[in-house]
Amino acid sequence: MTAEPLEPLDPVIHATTRLRIMVTLAALNDGDTLSFTRLQDILDLTPGNLITHLRKLEDAGYIHTAKTGAGTASQTSVTLTLRGRAALDSYTQALRKLLSGL
Amino acid sequence: MNGPPKVDHPGTAEDDGGLDPREAAALIEETARQARRQFQPHAPYVAVLGAGVFLFGYGAVWWSIRNQHPYTTGPAGWSIALLYGLIIASAIASSRLLTRPTAGVGGRARRQLRGLAVAVWAAGVGAWTFQGALRYLGVSFEIVYGVYGPTVPLIALCAAAAGFAAAREDWLHLCVTVAIIAVAAGSTFFGPWGAWGLTGLGCCLVLLGYAAALSIRLRKA
Repeated sequence: MTAEPLEPLDPVIHATTRLRIMVTLAALNDGDTLSFTRLQDILDLTPGNLITHLRKLEDAGYIHTAKTGAGTASQTSVTLTLRGRAALDSYTQALRKLLSGL
Repeated sequence: MNGPPKVDHPGTAEDDGGLDPREAAALIEETARQARRQFQPHAPYVAVLGAGVFLFGYGAVWWSIRNQHPYTTGPAGWSIALLYGLIIASAIASSRLLTRPTAGVGGRARRQLRGLAVAVWAAGVGAWTFQGALRYLGVSFEIVYGVYGPTVPLIALCAAAAGFAAAREDWLHLCVTVAIIAVAAGSTFFGPWGAWGLTGLGCCLVLLGYAAALSIRLRKA
């Protein structure tokens, strides 16, 4: 019998800040959005840093950002996509398998 | 506050390919715990506030009418003032406790809360309008203010909240609202004394039990 090969960890999620973003958004119910400022406040990040990581996650299709309003009243909201939730589930499963093999 | 370690690198986007799997697992656990604390409404405190309103507010009215046989003058002014003062104070405190965790959260959760607000508002307005109609039609002071007043609007508000809890599959919340409805409905058989006294005491105990159950659930999460 051969051992099942270990799944590689998703490099988009396997980074401290992006992992924290994904886990924080996953704590909300499906379909809920979180404002950029609240997410920044919870994770204690600078706007520039958060934007950079959100862009990477959005490029992978794991999150969706939407801007409402204009000018100073504009607000950006972030939501975890179904694909993102599935990717986080796969990531945690792969991590669990990896840790059980250590 | 013992949150996860700060990973603030202004203007950079680190790619921690070298993030240790054990560190990643610990980070997931700590971040999930922090997020739950951030988003979870302080429901146990709200339940305790509600229990206080029932015990002291309803209790005060019960105290002022306990020797009225027959029910003639109704509750004393000070007891009504205390009841409404407690309701207003607890509503302000509860709204602060409940809105802080949901700040910045939108989408489905926000729409559900708006729906609940409409349902509760309609239930309350309907019940109080009906109370006015009963008095207008000549139903006795004892029934309209002594029995109906402390129970039926409460039953209507809890029925709206029960529907919301069922739609969200929040079974604990559903059990609490159904228990309050049962206490309020059952107490009406004992007249004004029971409507104020038994509803106050019964709902206080139900809400304290709810607060304890929520605290245990939060500690386990």
